[in-house]
Amino acid sequence: MNEEYKDCASLSSRVTDDSSQENVTIQLRDVTYRYDDRDILSAFSASIAAGSFYAVMGPNGCGKTTLLRLVAGLLHPQRGAVAVQGRDVRHYSARELAQRVAFVRQQPQTDFDFSAFETVLMGRNPYQYRLQNESQRDWEIVERCMKQTNTWHLRFAKPGEMSGGELQRVMLARALAQETPIMLLDEPLANLDIAHQFEMLQLLRDINREQHKTLLLVIHDLNMALQYCDSLLLLHHGGIRYQGPIAEGLTSDNIEEVFGVRASLSDGTIQLSSK
Amino acid sequence: MLNGKLGGSPNLALNISHFPFPLGCMRPNLPIKYRRGVPRLYHLTLMAVLLLAAMLGCSVLGVVRFSWAEMWSSPIFLNLRLPRVILAVLIGAALSVCGAAYQSIFRNPLTDPYVLGISSGASLGAAVSIVLGLEAYMLGVGVCALVTGLLTILAIYRIASIGNRMHTTTLLLTGVCITFLISAVISFLMVLNQDKMESIIFWTMGSLASATWSDVAFVAPVVLIGVAVVLYYCRDLNLMLVGSETAQSLGVEVEKVKRILLLVTTVMVAFCVSACGVIGFVGLVVPHCMRLLCGPDNRKVIPYSIFVGGLFLLLCDTLARTLLMPAELPVGSLTALVGAPLFVYLLYKNKKTF
Repeated sequence: MNEEYKDCASLSSRVTDDSSQENVTIQLRDVTYRYDDRDILSAFSASIAAGSFYAVMGPNGCGKTTLLRLVAGLLHPQRGAVAVQGRDVRHYSARELAQRVAFVRQQPQTDFDFSAFETVLMGRNPYQYRLQNESQRDWEIVERCMKQTNTWHLRFAKPGEMSGGELQRVMLARALAQETPIMLLDEPLANLDIAHQFEMLQLLRDINREQHKTLLLVIHDLNMALQYCDSLLLLHHGGIRYQGPIAEGLTSDNIEEVFGVRASLSDGTIQLSSK
Repeated sequence: MLNGKLGGSPNLALNISHFPFPLGCMRPNLPIKYRRGVPRLYHLTLMAVLLLAAMLGCSVLGVVRFSWAEMWSSPIFLNLRLPRVILAVLIGAALSVCGAAYQSIFRNPLTDPYVLGISSGASLGAAVSIVLGLEAYMLGVGVCALVTGLLTILAIYRIASIGNRMHTTTLLLTGVCITFLISAVISFLMVLNQDKMESIIFWTMGSLASATWSDVAFVAPVVLIGVAVVLYYCRDLNLMLVGSETAQSLGVEVEKVKRILLLVTTVMVAFCVSACGVIGFVGLVVPHCMRLLCGPDNRKVIPYSIFVGGLFLLLCDTLARTLLMPAELPVGSLTALVGAPLFVYLLYKNKKTF
């Protein structure tokens, strides 16, 4: 933890364009979220430092998606509070929150007919006023984000004409176009082939390093997380099992406890086998 | 105003958007970069001129003919034809805009005020107000129609929403059930009040035959304000079309916008129904044709729907009263003649795309 805070302090001192940026950008205090009489998260507390790149891991149903949705303001906890940049999520308007937090859903919806370009352009919505037309700047940002995610050649395509991976990259481009300091990604690798998984992770790391965005990434592949992410938030039964640098968190004890599989580390890679 | 210099291949499709009206908006594949999000002013001007010409032309047609000179002093033209034509345009525009709004709010291409049962809900209020002897007061009928219309939309919303989502089948079935239920209640009311049967039938069938200037004065402000409100929320509707959660995370206060728009559109539908009864399928046909022409962007679909919806109902009503002169067809049967096959086609195709 200590090391991480030092790391973040040096990071935020590097951020010169946004001096108001606090060290802690997301804070959850005693958050309890119940659904159908079941505690998805119970008395959950965590602080996420600005500029960090977190892998959010844990078995199915442990509350990873719920955690992201709470931070994105899509759900509100029954008890406790979620603060983004020092302010309770509930006190933001949807527009203000959308300027701070971008959320990439697990399953991109496809039942509409907007082209990829129009879809990415929707990411500019939090900066536009009603009845206002898109500005030249909006177009430039959309073009940059689409080129960055390698989707510019798809700009004419409709959702039905794109593969799952292409659609996922378009959704990432839309989140980038929101120009938020925080990005939440719920299993963005789920529909990608291996080459594109690496490409996406590389891109995310570049975004984290160059634009100093705080990234929370739900990911299942332990080795990929180990290779690309800096920090780990390991969830277990609605609480935190481990938070800190990822290399120290992915121990065979933790993995066995949380996922119920046997793990052995050798040469910086994790070998898994069933119990 | 907009040049296509910005990257990409500017000469690929750029110039098509500079073509005059019909071609200019008929390029759904063209990215917004090469089009403007809002309709071009001259498209709208052209459509307004077309609509005015059609209004004038349609009011000249009919059993009684008159020359250009005597038209402006003829009471038939001034007190019968003119209010009827204006009312047809207002109601056509209102129903189309409401249809487009419902389709985006419910994320369902098959919804319109009629299919959802909101029109029949409002007609129940109208029937009740007739039974209570309120038909002399337009406002009395309007308020009754509004109350039952709002109750209907509330019921549909409560029944058909599972979590945050509206399921197509549940939504349509709820609409059908409510329509059946209400028609049963209305038949019951008619049997109990046989002396008022005819005026109740008028509301369930839908007709513009009794249009007067007071109807126009009653409907026009509501429609103008309602359409303005829907236009104000056009971009939010686009985002809601993609998904309510996505819209929320892109900065739309989904619940608030949804509530405002459902209220405003239901008020519009209720006032239209209390002026002319239930006219079906207008709100389904018009936004769909607009989507086929200019893509899913509501900032185009809704403004164009205003004009084309007005024109569509105007033409249907004119056909209804001139086709079998001097007899008159119910205008609802003509809109259904166009709308019902389209509805079936959409059900058949049901690809869930807009």
